[in-house]
Amino acid sequence: MEAELYLIRLLHVISGIMWIGILWYFNFVQIPSMPKIPDEQKPAIGKVIAPEALFWFRWGAFFTVFFGLALAWRSGYLMDALMLNEALIGIGMWLGLIMAFNVWFVIWPAQKIALGIVEADAALKPTMARRAMLFSRTNTMLSIPMLASMISVQNPIM
Amino acid sequence: MGKILESLPLTIVAGVILTVIMIFGADVIQNSQMSVQEAPASEAMNSM
Repeated sequence: MEAELYLIRLLHVISGIMWIGILWYFNFVQIPSMPKIPDEQKPAIGKVIAPEALFWFRWGAFFTVFFGLALAWRSGYLMDALMLNEALIGIGMWLGLIMAFNVWFVIWPAQKIALGIVEADAALKPTMARRAMLFSRTNTMLSIPMLASMISVQNPIM
Repeated sequence: MGKILESLPLTIVAGVILTVIMIFGADVIQNSQMSVQEAPASEAMNSM
């Protein structure tokens, strides 16, 4: 049981670093740098780096949630957390679920249009790029309390 | 909200403020949950 929980927690943390690391790369590095990149070099970001980063980003989000729910279930506090009987980790879990929902159902569909991965009206691209940016920023904002909540499981603060 | 999210520094400040609210909010929720769970026990004690 201890070894199983250790393995699930390790996979949860590795997936989480993949997810939040790329989220912070987008928000701290790529988005602020785009206006400084010459137009002829922008396709390197839009056509190569961003699609590759988005692949690891969305699957990182999926497996972080998958292993996180598995960890809570095997540890016996899944329902207590989701019902907020274990309030602090429960809030963190809900924040993580909202963030993963944003990744799969808002950011990724918007980015597919903005980056031209799927066919769409060219006029839609700026709107979708802005939507993806705002929801990515929302996730960056939520990642701070979410991570604080996750740490609180092993280091109680109150 | 859009104005805050357009600025990375303001986004981080908002995240820190949310963290503080979450910590104290979770404490309030936890205490209220405990009160609800303890109520039946105290009612049982009173009826003895």
